[in-house]
Amino acid sequence: MKQHKTKAALMATVASAALLLGACGGGGNSGDGDGGGNGGGDVEPTELGFFTDKAAWEPQFDEMNAASEAADQSTLSFTGYSDAAAYDAFIKQAFRTNDKPDLFTWHTGGQLGELVEAGLVAETTDLWEAAAENGDVPEGLIENYTYDGKQYCVPLNVVYWVMYYNKQVYADNGLEVPTTWDELMGNAQTLVDNGVVPFHQMNFIFEFVWFQTVVAGSDPEAYVGLQDGSVSYTDPAIVEAMEVWHQMQTDGYFIDPGVTTDPQTLLQTGEVAMANFGTFFTGQLNALGMVPDEDYGIFAIPNVNPDLDSQQAIVETGPLCVGAGSANEQAALDYSAWWMGVDAQNAWTDAFGDVSFNPNVESPDPALSAVVSQVTGPDFQIQKRWLEATPVPIYTVASEEFGAFVTNNGDPMAHLEAIQAAADAYWAEQ
Amino acid sequence: MTAPAARRAEMLPTSKRRNTFALPSIGFVAPAVLLAGVVLYLPFLYTTYISFTKYNGLGDPQWVGLDNYVRMFSDPGLLNSLLNTLYWVAGTIVLPVGLGLFIAVLSHNLPGATLFRLPFLIPYALSGVAVGVIWSFVLQTDGALSQIVELFGADAPRWLLDAPLNTFVMIVASSWQGAGVNALLFGIGLQSIPKEPIEAAKVDGASGFTMFRTMTWPMLTPLTTVVVGLSIVGSLKTFDIVWGMTKGGPGGVSETLALTMYKETFITNDYGLGAAVAVFLTVVTVLASVLYLRRQLAPERSV
Repeated sequence: MKQHKTKAALMATVASAALLLGACGGGGNSGDGDGGGNGGGDVEPTELGFFTDKAAWEPQFDEMNAASEAADQSTLSFTGYSDAAAYDAFIKQAFRTNDKPDLFTWHTGGQLGELVEAGLVAETTDLWEAAAENGDVPEGLIENYTYDGKQYCVPLNVVYWVMYYNKQVYADNGLEVPTTWDELMGNAQTLVDNGVVPFHQMNFIFEFVWFQTVVAGSDPEAYVGLQDGSVSYTDPAIVEAMEVWHQMQTDGYFIDPGVTTDPQTLLQTGEVAMANFGTFFTGQLNALGMVPDEDYGIFAIPNVNPDLDSQQAIVETGPLCVGAGSANEQAALDYSAWWMGVDAQNAWTDAFGDVSFNPNVESPDPALSAVVSQVTGPDFQIQKRWLEATPVPIYTVASEEFGAFVTNNGDPMAHLEAIQAAADAYWAEQ
Repeated sequence: MTAPAARRAEMLPTSKRRNTFALPSIGFVAPAVLLAGVVLYLPFLYTTYISFTKYNGLGDPQWVGLDNYVRMFSDPGLLNSLLNTLYWVAGTIVLPVGLGLFIAVLSHNLPGATLFRLPFLIPYALSGVAVGVIWSFVLQTDGALSQIVELFGADAPRWLLDAPLNTFVMIVASSWQGAGVNALLFGIGLQSIPKEPIEAAKVDGASGFTMFRTMTWPMLTPLTTVVVGLSIVGSLKTFDIVWGMTKGGPGGVSETLALTMYKETFITNDYGLGAAVAVFLTVVTVLASVLYLRRQLAPERSV
């Protein structure tokens, strides 16, 4: 009897442990078998697991699937997250399991660097070489994807930072599109005199936008120097740029930081005349029923310093990455190669109405198309967006300092010193 | 020996019999213990371990000892978060709990009391983030509240921009949401008070505030203890309303400890520091709960 009970106890313990372990490990092995197929050469098209923090893009990716299927390529099984922080944590966790993502979107800069360093993303050097030969990638873009001389991931999208303006407000105030910084400031002053707020800005998420515009447009070398620590946030070039921004805030050129209405609504209603935004803003304006080149226009923001050799333009790019050791690694690399080509990028611009990174593909939107051909032209120098170009620990402090600066327009030097303290701490560790 | 006594002796467990029951019982208890261990204890122990490491979510955590704790306590931002969290604790006890009690007492014994209390409960059905977004429309520059203030010719303050005002108005917003459920709880408490002592007090001439102070309030103590205890714990981990309204900004001035924990972990990807804040927040919450409950439930404090 006693022995029987002991057995029963053991069985119950073992069974419950097995249940728990089973529950924890469930679904972990579905990707075994052909993982790590990095031997090159085409494999059969399949359905790739695709993960992104851009959940709203699912309909457009359905259209991309139609295009890739027609081209005898793999299709994507779409999983979208709408919370970026939850998504980032999910992707990192996924690499600790056997279910590594075939394809996923990520962030350039330090965050991609982390994945590369940990060996989690597949190399794409061959793909970039082929794309460069075909003229499918513009000059300079590759730097966002290069670590130790090798490339990782391919460009998912590209965003140029430009100025959107309300055409009606410009007409009502007798303004012309500015070609110099002085003209831009002149327009702003006229608008202020007429009781219109010239520029949009925010004290969170995009609090850094005017910093990057003014610094890059004043001293591009200093802007680049901030990215590797060779220039300090308290150097005269940066302090002067910050003073320019400070003066603009003092002159009432920006909307009150306590207004939380969407920027696209503010531009539509004319509560702000201009908004310094990435080209993704086009989609948000069009969603409100605004017509490009009729209701709103776009122009490249002129340099603050008129003596610079080339016009400065900020570009942001998001990567499409292949998980190293994922179940369909080779198929995902083949898909990436197709993605960079003209066919895929034509499908992209059709689906999104957006710009493509591929210079051989023109955007269907005339306003976008005009400004993009301008900023990718020979007079322009492309700069990385400040957010991706700045190491995360410095960004964290700086975004709070810029947020406070936008809110209170206090002494610029105090904020710069606080950012530099974080930068000193970061670069000392490198 | 009588028959029942003999039976009792038979039923008394001898040490040998206790062992025969003890072993199989482990088997039956094991699933629950294992489940609790895996989903409750393990994450806490793992978080505590992570708080002693440098970790960005990739690769293996590197042991750095007390580094994260040193960084945490030498950061003026954390002290600010701690201060804001204390505002939230104090504010939550005064406003949602105080208002809840007020509503419950006023509506108690009225015909149709439920109808009076029901509207206060409706906001409770919303998520905190939604409440935050809605209230930020009211509180933004040129928002509804500013327009009302300006109607009277005064300059509206920058509700959500200046600290600590932004924390105070967010506490008001959370009271809008939280007062109703406290009123419901206090209402139940009031109904469970026995009628006899109250009637006796009435005979002795007690009424109005004297009745409340000398009779109702002391007899509500067990429920007040629970409501205040829950409010302390809830307010210590305030996150969603602040996230919906200011994201802890501008410039981090309205951050609470829970927001600092979230931002360090998931925005900055400094899992070690985030875990250290989590452990600190847990210690503060447990300490506050234990101290409060010890004091309130001490045996000599009987009514």
